[in-house]
Amino acid sequence: MKEKRNIGQMITTVLPFAALVALFFIFIGVVNMKGYRLDMYLKIAFNEGVVLAVVATGAIFIYTLGTFDISLGASTLFSATMGVMTYNKTENLGLMILVIFAVGIICSLFNSVLASVFHIPAFVTTVAMMSVLTAVAAKIITTEGGALGGIRIPSSVLKPFDSMGCKIALLVIFFAVSLFMFRFTKVGRRQKFIGGNPLCAYLTGIRYNKYTIIAFVMAGIGVGLGAFLTLVYTPSVTTTTASSIGMNIFIAIVFGGMPISGGPFSKIYAALVGGFSFMLLNDILEIVIESNAAYGITQIISAVFFLIVVYLTSMNYRTAMLPR
Amino acid sequence: MSTAGTAKKIVGTFIIPVIVFLILEGLCLSKGEHIITNAKSFDNFIVYVAIVMITTIALSINLNSGRFDFSLGSMAALSAIIGAKISYAIFGGGKGSALCMLLVTIVAGLLLGLISGSIYVLLKIPPIITSLGVTLIYEGVMYTITDGKYLMTEVQNSSMAGFVGTWIYAAIIIVLVLVLTIVLFDHTRFGFDYNALKSGQKVSVNTGIKEVKNALICYTICGGLMGLVGFFNAARNTTINGGQLNFGSIAIMFTAFLPMFIGSYISRYSNEKVGFLLAAICMSMLNSTFAVFSNEITASMQSIINAVLLVVFLIYLNNEHLLRKIFTK
Repeated sequence: MKEKRNIGQMITTVLPFAALVALFFIFIGVVNMKGYRLDMYLKIAFNEGVVLAVVATGAIFIYTLGTFDISLGASTLFSATMGVMTYNKTENLGLMILVIFAVGIICSLFNSVLASVFHIPAFVTTVAMMSVLTAVAAKIITTEGGALGGIRIPSSVLKPFDSMGCKIALLVIFFAVSLFMFRFTKVGRRQKFIGGNPLCAYLTGIRYNKYTIIAFVMAGIGVGLGAFLTLVYTPSVTTTTASSIGMNIFIAIVFGGMPISGGPFSKIYAALVGGFSFMLLNDILEIVIESNAAYGITQIISAVFFLIVVYLTSMNYRTAMLPR
Repeated sequence: MSTAGTAKKIVGTFIIPVIVFLILEGLCLSKGEHIITNAKSFDNFIVYVAIVMITTIALSINLNSGRFDFSLGSMAALSAIIGAKISYAIFGGGKGSALCMLLVTIVAGLLLGLISGSIYVLLKIPPIITSLGVTLIYEGVMYTITDGKYLMTEVQNSSMAGFVGTWIYAAIIIVLVLVLTIVLFDHTRFGFDYNALKSGQKVSVNTGIKEVKNALICYTICGGLMGLVGFFNAARNTTINGGQLNFGSIAIMFTAFLPMFIGSYISRYSNEKVGFLLAAICMSMLNSTFAVFSNEITASMQSIINAVLLVVFLIYLNNEHLLRKIFTK
């Protein structure tokens, strides 16, 4: 019985990595089969995946606590917007980067204050924040850049950062810091404890507010980095920039093999593995199905695939009652 | 019940709508207008009450049981698209097409809800995750059916315009939905089981309540209600957006958060569903006030005001005991 359970656990741990490797090779195969330039398509897939991966890696800290934040996409948009506005006013790159990160962290901290100080359920505060940030960013973008055009900085400003090496380095550094905090400090351990059993954690003296604030700060740093990488890839911001990130984080985290309820089974690598897997899957389907309806069919297939992966990876957590 | 108890219930039930009315009417009067300016704005007012109330009830059915459902918006849009396509194929936009679309949309909504619920109970994965998958699937189907375009020809006809051109149909639907949900959730075996499962899942299941059956019925009802919302939205906007991919459809549920919490507060003094109706009336008054101030308050500002109101109300709701302590010292 125990052996069977261990095998089950091993499969659910290995499955997300196996899926990522399989999707990567399928992606290469599909691009080659269609006769497209592999280097170009790899770059596109990486650029799409890296933003989702960094924002979702920061978000893991929030999800581990057993809550979630759907305003992260809106925060990314707002950070990028404020960054562009700052550069256009001052032409100071350092200040622009500072503003991007500061705005990301402040937005996230504001959520945590509402959640921990005013005791509002985090998912509701993030819904409200999403509305506010999207509305404010849209107002700035349409006022400054017109309804369709968006706002932009000269492409030469962030050109030095627009290389695979630089982006990989940023991703590795952020992931290493997150991994260290999550696995080798009491922050990660206690956050998992809170996520698994908040009452028990409280009774053992763990301060919920402190770890909530740390979680949201980490998510804010992820948002800042995500906004920066978005601008590096495309030096313009429109009202739809990063619009789907907030929800894609859910998918990335679950794709990576982490339960959405957080707690002791949380995994810091889930966002990285899941983020790239999800983007590769979407790209594969979009390359294979070439028509206007492709977007719809792509979404249906990736959703079915998503549900199958979640079903397989959640086998160990299944209960007799319906999960909530 | 004592007279004081009854008076407290009546005051508790109506205090929020009355305060909201006084504030908003005062604001409108400062501009020389009223919340409801003419018969047309009254029609719009009632239709909006119907949309908000039904969405709020649908959202609360699963959320009260700890099941977060992102797919409500996609169910509303997809069922409306199915209803519009079928009714147009039969009536070509002529007389009776609105009634046909209404019926088909409700049936489609019920089916979509049942499918969503079936996926949840079969896969036994958390409902929030199931709803993410279902949302993506329904949006994908919507996009494939419409080729990502807006549906206009099918819903722009006199029959549809007539349906939202008067407050009577919306009022009838409000009453029907209210009576039906109150009877179902408060006076039937299903409702008793639902409330038991809501309060204590493990104990209820151990006492023999069929949780799967109950969950499936809940999802089906939600689907039917969202079908109604989809129909109203299609008639009111004279179009349906078929190109809502990447969770573009979920925004509809966020509009129901504030009325849901207001309704929950009112339910301390009366029936929860009546609370949702009164909360929907408050939201409709706010919406009508926005229309009066349309030159000053942009769509972005409206979103911000709604969000701020939600946060302020929740700060009050979640810190009520602290505030009471401070003010009774």
